Amino acid sequence: MFKNYIKIAWRNLQKRKVFAFINILGLALGFGCGILIFLFINYHLQFDDFHENADRIYRVVTEEHQGSNVGYEAAVPPGFANAFRTEYDYAKKVAKIYYQDALQIDIEDDNGTKKFQNDIVFAEQDIFEIFNFPILEKISEQSLADPKTAYVSESFGKKVFGVQNPLGKSFTLDNNETIQIIGVFKDIPKNSTVQGDVFVSFLTLKGSGDFVAKDIWSGINSSLRCYTLLHPNQNIANIEESLISLVSKHRPKFKNVHRYKLQPLSTIHFNNDYGGINTNLLWIFGLVGLFIITIACINFINISTAQAFSRSKEIGIRKVLGGYKQHLFWQFISETFVLSLFAIIIGFAITFFALATFNELFGLSLSIQSLISFKTVVFVLSLLVMVSLLAGSYPGILLSRIVPTLALKGKLTQRDTGGKLTRKILVTTQFVISIVLIVSTIVIGKQISFAVNADLGFKKDAIVMVPIPEELEKIKIDGLKDRFFQISGVEKVTACFASPGAAYSNWGTSVKYNTRPEHEEFFISAKLSDKDYIKTFGLELVAGRNFRESDSITEVVVNEKLGEKLGVASPEELVGKYVELNGGFIKATISGVVANFHDQNFHENINPVFIAPSHNAYNEFAIKINGKNATTSLLEIEKRWKEVFPKYIFDYTFLDQRVAEQYKEEQRFLSLSKLFSGLAIFISCLGLYGLISFFVAQRTKEIGIRKVLGGKISDILLLFTQDFFKLILIAGVIASPVAWYFMTNWLENYQYRILIDWWVFAIAILGVSVITIATISYQAVRAAIANPVDSLRSE
Amino acid sequence: MLLQLNKVSKWVQSGGQKVYLLKNIDLWVHEGDFISIMGPSGSGKSTLLNVIGMLDSFDEGEYTFLEDPVHTLKEKHRSNLYKQYIGFVFQSYHLIDELTVKENLEMPLLYKKYGGSERKALVADMLDRFNIVGKKDLFPAQLSGGQQQLVGIARALIANPKLILADEPTGNLNSKQGEEIMEIFSGLNKEGVTIIQVTHSEKNTSYGSRIINLLDGGIV
Repeated sequence: MFKNYIKIAWRNLQKRKVFAFINILGLALGFGCGILIFLFINYHLQFDDFHENADRIYRVVTEEHQGSNVGYEAAVPPGFANAFRTEYDYAKKVAKIYYQDALQIDIEDDNGTKKFQNDIVFAEQDIFEIFNFPILEKISEQSLADPKTAYVSESFGKKVFGVQNPLGKSFTLDNNETIQIIGVFKDIPKNSTVQGDVFVSFLTLKGSGDFVAKDIWSGINSSLRCYTLLHPNQNIANIEESLISLVSKHRPKFKNVHRYKLQPLSTIHFNNDYGGINTNLLWIFGLVGLFIITIACINFINISTAQAFSRSKEIGIRKVLGGYKQHLFWQFISETFVLSLFAIIIGFAITFFALATFNELFGLSLSIQSLISFKTVVFVLSLLVMVSLLAGSYPGILLSRIVPTLALKGKLTQRDTGGKLTRKILVTTQFVISIVLIVSTIVIGKQISFAVNADLGFKKDAIVMVPIPEELEKIKIDGLKDRFFQISGVEKVTACFASPGAAYSNWGTSVKYNTRPEHEEFFISAKLSDKDYIKTFGLELVAGRNFRESDSITEVVVNEKLGEKLGVASPEELVGKYVELNGGFIKATISGVVANFHDQNFHENINPVFIAPSHNAYNEFAIKINGKNATTSLLEIEKRWKEVFPKYIFDYTFLDQRVAEQYKEEQRFLSLSKLFSGLAIFISCLGLYGLISFFVAQRTKEIGIRKVLGGKISDILLLFTQDFFKLILIAGVIASPVAWYFMTNWLENYQYRILIDWWVFAIAILGVSVITIATISYQAVRAAIANPVDSLRSE
Repeated sequence: MLLQLNKVSKWVQSGGQKVYLLKNIDLWVHEGDFISIMGPSGSGKSTLLNVIGMLDSFDEGEYTFLEDPVHTLKEKHRSNLYKQYIGFVFQSYHLIDELTVKENLEMPLLYKKYGGSERKALVADMLDRFNIVGKKDLFPAQLSGGQQQLVGIARALIANPKLILADEPTGNLNSKQGEEIMEIFSGLNKEGVTIIQVTHSEKNTSYGSRIINLLDGGIV
């Protein structure tokens, strides 16, 4: 019996090629999206799940209680790890790791020096005992407990040493230490929170004077992480309770009260407070995948029910010859199954070829292997069965209900086959989904362009940021500054700790104002720089004057926000007042006040900021160039920079790119919503095209009669389009509040955000209307201009 | 007795009035009968045939088929009954266009859950009997009207029914083809198959044993 079903399904496919094509293409695209989204969600759900002792691995994190505010830091003070290791007995292993971005690695070989830039993980040996990162080979007797040693990944070894074995080789790190490679580990899977190619022994930091290398408790560097493998059966609450004594011992006087928490490995990837991903995102993608598959199913249902009429004779015969309702029902399910099977094979192929592009566009690393994993196959098969049932059952029920006597007499009307209202509802649903997706895309796009193009309170265009890779004396900094300034294309230069916004380095510290006895409960952000900072970045002085440079900091410039936070009425009032910063290390007078600028991205509020000179803290030059001959200016800048830093790799960025970079996630989100709303509309249009060609075929005679009686082409076009317009309007009424609700929610993530104008909805509705007309017109116009004699003669 | 209709009526409501499609029909059919139903268009011939074939319901009266009271049976029982005992032949053949001759013949057997080898044997028998072995892999559209009707009759006979209901079986055929078909019916009747046909043609009635004339839903 099933064979018979399949046979007739196959022959029906061949007979109605256009409809089969529309159905299969729509479903295939839906399936393709579905599979990609499944891989994406599955990738995130499988984070950090490959470690043998995953249930006993924790990251120690810090809650910072400051008055009523609580901050979350995925790191601990540098002294924590040793204390936890030696003073407590909960952990089998404790390891700290410290990430540093883009350090320089020099390799000497016969052909001279090769320079690379690579992120470095400074780590203790136990990190390899806590996590399952398999060591492929190592020099016995040596470990990361020895200073100036390193493990590198297999692929890093290949990249740097080619075919040679990296084991035992050495490299120079940041023009300073010589590090020996003592082990090679298998590349860390992408679904691991801890990442890295080069693990250098933590002890190597000892000599550097870096604050993270010492057992101190006064602050937290967010790049210093502490992982631990606990003994079995520990009570986490008890451990966290006992860690409070560390705070009273090491930080008795701090207003910023630490609470150390153990974060289970399995939650790290999803905990938003500590830099995990937003799980809402997974839900949204899941929902969008569902939407797109739904749209494809709706196409199928609509086309099938519209075709009920032409299938009715067959159904009548089958019933007369002894077929029951359920026979017919399962026959149609089987047909749907055959169609879906084709679609899923094509969908699979689409996924296979799109995977690389998808990864690249959205910064993912889904593998081809994950495409043929057991889980994916199960997902695909259940999708196949579900879609067959979902898309096949309604037409199945409708068709199996057909009365055979009417069907065989050809007396069946569209009313008897039914489904007209359902079809309208389903088409409206498609329009609703399309409109919601279009509105979302427009709103996301507008918010991003607002964030990138808004007046940030500082100038960001044509400013080149150039690193200062090692600490320089003031005289050398000033010398280089002058050399830059002599370049004809250069307008302004400043040396600074960080740019005003989109800063690579952040430093927040305490503030004590005027004669007030206590430190304030908020932090103030430091923007250490020379006196040209305000001028270069175009900050606006609203009161007082710029600071004067001297050997120590005696004058600072602050922003208006500080006054606001302090409760000082006007900027003028701040000028001349005394402030103590950084726990009393800086005692200075406020010489001027600048207008607020966005020192953070638009998710965050503007912070109080001070600007003061401190040459040993400078990380970067900001060079304002004029638009003409930018390339020449850049070459000149590089040349002069290399004279001072011959051993380093020259690596510059533009400030406006950094600002845009802050919204990378949103940009990806935007690309995704563009892709998905485009697909949704495309698949809906396929369905509409199918429906309209069917209606046109069905009403050929009516069109003929209308034309003979004097109907114009425009009348006939209207005949087909007016119904759809009504549906689009209804869809608009339903979709607008839904989209408004979702997008208002999304915008609440931003402190600075756009308003959703009414015209956004109007554009979406108009857009859908235009696309719909375009889809319908081809078929409708063809029907309308046909010679009525032809269509009437055949009757 | 094969079947009996006792005061069977069927009507539709039109403009607040009952319009009778069938009115007080009394009819006895014995096994081996060859009955022709005649009457002008709209007299209710096809409706009567559909009621007998249990494809259509009626509003009043009793219908007994092989001692089963059809009017009280549930739909499922009813269709079991006609599946088992009744074969249908149509004016416009009603073959499934997407299936070949062989597959069209096989279909009733599929619904009756015959095994694969049995199906093959029965289909081969029928092809032989109607001399259409050479056509078995053709689709209906590739056959002439007479050939299509042959297949239609073969399909009706394949499950060995007691009763054949034929609704103007020669209506779409030329006279020569029509005669051939009627010869076949006549032969089947001699083998013991009961036949009820609806026809417009006096000539066709000559093959039958009894004529029932209908007018406005009643027997005259």
